Amino acid sequence: MAHANAPVEQYNYEVIRKFAIMSLVWGLLGMSVGVYIALELAFPALNFDIPEITFGRLRPVHTTLVIFGFGGSALFATSYYIVQRTCQARLFSNGLATFTFWGWQIIILSGALSYMLGYSQGREYAEFEWPIDILIAVVWVAYLALFVQAIRQRTQPHIYVANWFFLAFIMVTAILHIFNNLAMPVGLFTLKSYSAFSGVQDAMTQWWYGHNAVGFFLTAAFLGMMYYFVPKQAGRPVYSYRLSIIHFWALVFLYMWAGAHHLHWTALPDWTSTLAATFSIMLLLPSWGGMINGIMTLSGAWDKLRSDPIMLFMIASLSFYGMSTFEGPLMSLKSVNALSHYTDWTIGHVHSGALGWVAMISFGSMYHLIPRLYGTKIFSLKLIYTHFWLATIGIVLYITSMWIAGIGQGLFLRAFDDYGNLKYSFIETVAFLHQPYVWRAIGGMFFVAGVMVMAYNVIRTISRAKREAAELEAKIAAKMASA
Amino acid sequence: MSEQKQDKAQSGSVQTTGHAWDGDIQEFNNPLPRWWLWAFYATVVFAVVYWFFYPAWPVGQSYTKGGLNSITYKVGDKEVTTHWNTRARLMKDLQEGEESVKQRQYMQKVVDSSYEKILSDSSMMQFSRSVGKILFTDNCAACHGMGGAGVIGLFPNLVDDDWLWGGKVEEIQTTLEKGRNGYMPAFRKTFNEQQMDDVVEYVLNLSGHDVDKEKSMRGAALFNGEGGGCYYCHTKEAVGMKSVGSANLTDGIWTLADVAGQTNIEAKREAVRAIIKNGVKRQMPAWSQRLSSAEIKILTVYVHELGGGK
Repeated sequence: MAHANAPVEQYNYEVIRKFAIMSLVWGLLGMSVGVYIALELAFPALNFDIPEITFGRLRPVHTTLVIFGFGGSALFATSYYIVQRTCQARLFSNGLATFTFWGWQIIILSGALSYMLGYSQGREYAEFEWPIDILIAVVWVAYLALFVQAIRQRTQPHIYVANWFFLAFIMVTAILHIFNNLAMPVGLFTLKSYSAFSGVQDAMTQWWYGHNAVGFFLTAAFLGMMYYFVPKQAGRPVYSYRLSIIHFWALVFLYMWAGAHHLHWTALPDWTSTLAATFSIMLLLPSWGGMINGIMTLSGAWDKLRSDPIMLFMIASLSFYGMSTFEGPLMSLKSVNALSHYTDWTIGHVHSGALGWVAMISFGSMYHLIPRLYGTKIFSLKLIYTHFWLATIGIVLYITSMWIAGIGQGLFLRAFDDYGNLKYSFIETVAFLHQPYVWRAIGGMFFVAGVMVMAYNVIRTISRAKREAAELEAKIAAKMASA
Repeated sequence: MSEQKQDKAQSGSVQTTGHAWDGDIQEFNNPLPRWWLWAFYATVVFAVVYWFFYPAWPVGQSYTKGGLNSITYKVGDKEVTTHWNTRARLMKDLQEGEESVKQRQYMQKVVDSSYEKILSDSSMMQFSRSVGKILFTDNCAACHGMGGAGVIGLFPNLVDDDWLWGGKVEEIQTTLEKGRNGYMPAFRKTFNEQQMDDVVEYVLNLSGHDVDKEKSMRGAALFNGEGGGCYYCHTKEAVGMKSVGSANLTDGIWTLADVAGQTNIEAKREAVRAIIKNGVKRQMPAWSQRLSSAEIKILTVYVHELGGGK
């Protein structure tokens, strides 16, 4: 299709198309792995004694594919789209943009393969061994350069709010990534390295990273996505400019302090724990600022919920966002954490954020974005509805089963009998988890089925776009010939 | 409230900021929602109050300790008062918590009582069952199974009334404290094929199986003579000896060769033959270093009761 003399697009959409497609590919793969390991927890025989597919190795494969593969690619795609359109500036280098695409794909693929082969740094959400860490840093700097340059070349005097969130996300992620991964390789030709930190400092660094990965990668960045696609899809102005400023700065400032709530009741000093808990509580309203701004933007266009399934995705994602950002501060209180920590409540919480917020807002945005990238209309609105309901049922099954598993196990572990003895042995509390684990896997299957429907819808949309383009070309050629 | 604002916004009394991006994206200049702002202030107040009571801010090499929230607990005989901290809370809980006190009282009673007294006292037995169940499932169940049924060929069954090393409380306590080494030499070089067949036949005969009489007679001679010397450990009556943990071969209870689990006699022969050929080498670890003497005492009572005791 690409002719040598074809006009250059105003914006670099080529790299966005690639990232958008890969986001779906990694999403489908990563979520399927998630369903598989959920089944492994319910039926351990499913690991077939093959080390490469045991839970311990597939778990980081799942988290890496969904967070960095699916979420990361969706963020690259949407942030490139948004920054170019809201600044009216093309990404300054095609080569560098393409480099971020291939670099990122190599990172995801080599990460996933290396975990299956048993190579892992053992740092949660940062399991990449050091050579991949270096590649991540390089790709990220290129990303930052492209993004900042687009902002500098903007034609508007003001920087749109979505871009603040993206910029915060890119800069903070760079800092988190570099400090968390400071390590000394054992040798140049070995993947093994030793962390620069040890003991409780190491744990603290890890969770400073882990929590802010949630805060900046999975929250701030997706708020950026929300701030563009929600007003676009609703066709209404953002509800409050002031709220967006205040909650942006409050969110960015407060998030940084909260990571230690992942380490309550451990060797971590008590004062660190207190600060983390209180900053988490103060984080509630700034987090909700984004939800309020999103929902209030949609209000006044409520009638669209009846006719526009993309709006359904957006309103649902904002609701789940509000719910999980309420649940988070609650769980960060020491007394609640004493019950919830090390149970599946945490897993449920993370998924109400990951499936409910991150994935739903991405799906909504992609349904808006992909047809525009290909200059056509979506193949089927009905299938978007189907996807929405499959996803929603999946999330509800997932979260409720994990509430039952987590709160149940937490209560069992602290139950005493009449003699002051623990009432249940550990293994009894594990046996209890079996049923909720089965339901969780079923919820996951619903969710993956939804993504499959989306993949089909997208494939049909793209092939229609290609057909339309070919028809148009033929028409033009016929006209030229007759002229 | 929000509807009102929407109306205002739609009627144009709330202005946009005057910027437009990507054609049509604009922003209203709505004020911060009041409830949002006050709720935010409330969380800040909550945090400040929290900091007042608990250790919170690092100052130089130390930190603010928090006030009106001190904890008093015992170190040895001395009382110590300190600012709130998790270690002190744990100590206090272990020393004075309702469950701890209850547990300690019962535990002391069990420690002070003889086995005889414990076994005849229903409240001490209930306590021992309650602690023993958790101790057993957390420490013993990995091999012996949750209910203590063991695994044939690997780990002895503790629920039947057969005891390799003795089922009296003193014997069980010794087993737990010191562990046990179950050993039987391999006879693959001692016996030729025919002798092996004969001994297998005799062993099955001992537990009442219908076998070849002639072979069994020859086997008995090997078993009870110097050719095999099986009787050193299993005794001439083949009832075993508790002192070396040798099995009683006459009772139809099998912990290693799965004779009871086989229906046809050839398979039963194979099961016995494998043990005689390869011998036995199994070990139960010693627990005296890992469990307290009180815990071992309670486990003794628990295991004793599992198998009906002796």
